[in-house]
Amino acid sequence: MFLAQLKNELWKLFGKKRTYIGFGAFVVAQTAMLLMFKYTRWQGQFERLLAGNGYLASEYISALTVAVIMLVPQILLLMPLYVTLTGGDLVAKEAEDGTLRMILSRPISRVRLLLVKWAAGTIFSAVLVLALGAIALGFARILFPWKGMFVFGELPHPIFGLFPPGEGLRLYIFAHLFMTVNAIAMLSVAGMFSCFNMKPAAATILALSFLFLSMVMEHIPFFEAYQNWFITYHFAAWVLVFQTPVPWPQIFQSEIILLATSATAFVIGAMAFQMRDIKS
Amino acid sequence: MIELRNVCKKFAGRIAVDDLSFTVPRGEIFGLLGHNGAGKSTAIGMMLGQVWPTSGALKICGHDIQTNRRDALRPVGAIFETPVFYDYLSGARNLEILSTYTAPTSKARIREVIEWVGLTGRESSKVRTYSHGMRSRLALAQALLPKPELLILDEPSDGLDPEGIHEMRQTILRLQRELGLTILLSSHLLNEVEQLCTRIAVLQNGKKVFEGNVADVKSARGKVALKTSDFAKATQLLRERGLITATELEKYITLAEGRSTADIAQALVAAGIAVDGIWQHEQTVKDFYLGLINRNGKK
Repeated sequence: MFLAQLKNELWKLFGKKRTYIGFGAFVVAQTAMLLMFKYTRWQGQFERLLAGNGYLASEYISALTVAVIMLVPQILLLMPLYVTLTGGDLVAKEAEDGTLRMILSRPISRVRLLLVKWAAGTIFSAVLVLALGAIALGFARILFPWKGMFVFGELPHPIFGLFPPGEGLRLYIFAHLFMTVNAIAMLSVAGMFSCFNMKPAAATILALSFLFLSMVMEHIPFFEAYQNWFITYHFAAWVLVFQTPVPWPQIFQSEIILLATSATAFVIGAMAFQMRDIKS
Repeated sequence: MIELRNVCKKFAGRIAVDDLSFTVPRGEIFGLLGHNGAGKSTAIGMMLGQVWPTSGALKICGHDIQTNRRDALRPVGAIFETPVFYDYLSGARNLEILSTYTAPTSKARIREVIEWVGLTGRESSKVRTYSHGMRSRLALAQALLPKPELLILDEPSDGLDPEGIHEMRQTILRLQRELGLTILLSSHLLNEVEQLCTRIAVLQNGKKVFEGNVADVKSARGKVALKTSDFAKATQLLRERGLITATELEKYITLAEGRSTADIAQALVAAGIAVDGIWQHEQTVKDFYLGLINRNGKK
């Protein structure tokens, strides 16, 4: 029965046009960035950076390299927006539309209903992140060759990594798995707010504010010693797969903290949802 | 099928439902009346486990709604005012989605229900293309999916045109007649309540101010319409002889205990007052409701 309910929840989720806004925005943003990289001085700067460090630019300006370049701003800006938009809708949109009252006149418990919705939201998050990665790589491959991967920058961890294509692809996949956990945590926070008596937009804005506040506080020097307590600090764990050697214990610690945050948000949301009155 | 005992609900200090008690036995069509904000929807919300009562006990189909929601709501269908669906999906898909919140439902059952409410041929269309009447029929279909024994209808005719109201009324009667359902109906349409319900309860400011049979309300025991050449003289005589206790609108008299219309006619004729007509007055639910609300003071 859970699977049937989940299937129908996915029908509801993917039947809505607004669900696809995120996918559409990624396609537009990636196309724009790809063209900018190819036809502005951006590519030249990268080539000089590689040459300055003693590497052959022609071996590392590749689909994998460009895909990661396109990914970073979208992971920081677009993904939180579209994931929290869906998370904010989870319960609040149904309550606002009035369909929640019809569902709750049936013998399903509120916790079960929330669990089904959360599972559907989790699947959406995973699909969004994986689509983001696949589209980025697919688009980049159209204009760039399949060669070695070069990752460079303060992302926010300092990274300077060069990998052969096979190794690069493996790390690219790992990075996306960890980004999926980020997306689930963002969705869970928005979903938690959605369980309270508020409009979907308010739940989304609260979730984004929470993430923004966490990011700002994380970067205040006073809180440097407490960075572990900020959820956004752990969002950067996916970048660590490009460090050499890969700090797996640090990555897994962050992933566990993110999963625990998601579970906590779910429990708080479930309690709020269970206690509130559902009225027309 | 429904049992409420001393149920109260407060919202932020405001009492929405105050010490409400009533029972609805199997097979009855029970009407819940009251002005806007009287507490009808809150009471229905509590019956469906959507609103938590502040105190009191609610049993649906013999099960406590707070502690055994699943068993209590399994044989229940509900329709709310202004039926809302997932507009971007088809009617059939909506029914499929809603059915999974109760129990596994076969496609044949979904087809059967669609046919019962007369939506065959339109079930594959998106709900956004449906008229209000079709949405109401779809709402009825979703309520019938789990083969309910109890149907809770909160303003089911809200927003329907006269034809739609008539159709909904006939459907409710058909449901009771053919499927033997117990129905709780909340409605503003007092003539609808009069035609459908066997018993009613009236809520005012969250309190129950009346509960009784519609037949009793309509018969308005002791109230008689009297048509005579001199109403004032006639009623003075009848009062003096202890045959009536009250008069109203220079048209109605209330008979004293144990008196009949024959006693009145006999007394007036004997006194030489011509009687043009005398008959038992049948009160409408609307008359009764408005009288009751006015007597108890408007909200």
